[in-house]
Amino acid sequence: MIDWYTANSVVIQATMTTLLLALSIQLPLRMGVFSFAGVGCFGIGGYTAAIAFTKFGMGTWTAVAFGTVLAGVLCYLLGLLVHKLTGLYLGMATIAFALIVSVVATNGGSLTGGASGLFGALGGITNLHVFLLLAVVIIGLAISEAGRFGRKIDTVREDPELAVALGINVTRYRKLTFLASGLIGGLAGAVTTLLRSTITPAEVNFHLVVVALTVIIIGGSSSWLGAFIGAVFITWLPTVLSFVAEWEPIIYGFVVALAAIFLPGGILGLVKDLRHRRGARRGSTPPPEEGAAAPPDDEPHAPEPSRTPVPSQGGAL
Amino acid sequence: MQELLNTLTLGSIYLLFALGMALAWSTIGILNFAHGAIFVFSAFSAHFISDFVPLSMPAIILISVLVGATLSALTQWLAFEPILKRSKNHRSAELRILIGGIGVAAIPIALVDWATASAPFGFANSSYSTQVYEIMGLRITNTSLIVIIAGVGIAVGLTLWLRRSRQGLGLRAIGVDSETASLMGVNRTVMAIGTMAIAGGLAGLAGALQVFQLQAMGVETGDQLLIKAFAMIVLGGLGSMAGVILGAFVLAGAESLIFAANMGTWVDAVSFGLIFLVLLVRPQGIFGRQEVRRT
Repeated sequence: MIDWYTANSVVIQATMTTLLLALSIQLPLRMGVFSFAGVGCFGIGGYTAAIAFTKFGMGTWTAVAFGTVLAGVLCYLLGLLVHKLTGLYLGMATIAFALIVSVVATNGGSLTGGASGLFGALGGITNLHVFLLLAVVIIGLAISEAGRFGRKIDTVREDPELAVALGINVTRYRKLTFLASGLIGGLAGAVTTLLRSTITPAEVNFHLVVVALTVIIIGGSSSWLGAFIGAVFITWLPTVLSFVAEWEPIIYGFVVALAAIFLPGGILGLVKDLRHRRGARRGSTPPPEEGAAAPPDDEPHAPEPSRTPVPSQGGAL
Repeated sequence: MQELLNTLTLGSIYLLFALGMALAWSTIGILNFAHGAIFVFSAFSAHFISDFVPLSMPAIILISVLVGATLSALTQWLAFEPILKRSKNHRSAELRILIGGIGVAAIPIALVDWATASAPFGFANSSYSTQVYEIMGLRITNTSLIVIIAGVGIAVGLTLWLRRSRQGLGLRAIGVDSETASLMGVNRTVMAIGTMAIAGGLAGLAGALQVFQLQAMGVETGDQLLIKAFAMIVLGGLGSMAGVILGAFVLAGAESLIFAANMGTWVDAVSFGLIFLVLLVRPQGIFGRQEVRRT
């Protein structure tokens, strides 16, 4: 076990940082907010932490906290501006936000190191620290997925009008999701930067959006578990299958396209579907309303009739 | 004056690229994120073939247009149609199409990246040569002339076709309400694939002309152009072809100004900032109509 860990500690680290980044986008998606602001916040957090660490001589954890909070605050302000936009428009506005972060970093002069970025920001973060931070984030997300609160979020995503009618303050949920997404994204950026010791403007680009999205699409957007599955899949597949490493972008392109067409719930959605199906078969007398709610023929991919209020499709995507 | 001419050339290439995207998005409701990849891949295919056989300019453009149209129609047929069929509602379809487009886009881009080893490519082997004309003290190359004529001509033609022709009417009907349109005898699937083929062909044309104009094209051009095109469409207003024309030239003008002010590194911020500003101040764009969607 120890041998396995030391041999793979770099990959484990990459899995954890990728997961953090993906979670910053998974959370708004679960809320039905199509925001990629987490990627921009990754840049803000990373740059802030690196500047605080190298230029102002702050300690590792002060720098991380600084980056996280600043990213959270800026993302909240962004949320105040754009929370009324929906769908593609919101998606593009937040992609534009992420790319503006990159342009500002390129033009930041000596503070951000220009196009070549910042170097030498190697903080004292170990894998255990990352694991603990990740655990805190995941526990927080798991709480938000459970019980009443989780059902409220599902309602906000699936039917905002209904949610308003039920007395849920949808606007406040949407704004808060920007704050949370910014905090997680900023944390991901700060931790990743201080682990790798460098950050460049070229890292905060459209490709980073694609990576984060790929993780969520493969795993499933309905839960943190989906992002976890996706992060494991995407970081470990190239190490297990060497031909994958060679053709990585092409294979991921196919996987994302196929997942978008056939598996909108990702791997997690598939597993949930199978479990529902098996559960339905084992139950000797299914409740009558299940038969009545059978999907019409023209919707081949309609969700299995499910007993829980959580749709088995896995929601937003 | 010379700057104005350069702006016009740049804007025409933007316009050709954005027209196809706007056409597909405003009528059949598909924002194709693979549009940039199709643009790069079709220009690359022409480059690839012209490396073996010396080709004339029309032949190169023809190859690029055909590859673009084929790729785009295939994307529609193999990816977007199945997504539309399998989606529960409009919102999830929209997001899945965006993601599917991103996935599809990764494939040709990765192929080009691998084949060129990330180096820019051009049409070095083509029999086309650039000539410079002097008209009233203005220097204009034959390439810019072709670009401007093609850009403005096709934009006006497409706008008129969409407004006047029977197919254009059917296409706009799909944009308003695809179910009612299909009840009125508009074949949605065929129209959608045709529209995507036109859009892809325009991307191919823009790709070939961009390489002729700038001598070379990098792999990452597609992604940048995609976001710029989004800025143009949003600025002009979704659903208005005249808006796209305006958007393309406004963006090209703004970028030329930034370059003239010697702030070249900020040039990308123009389109990103524009997206932001328009969406906040006037989300329906300059010529756009407010979208009404009942839930």
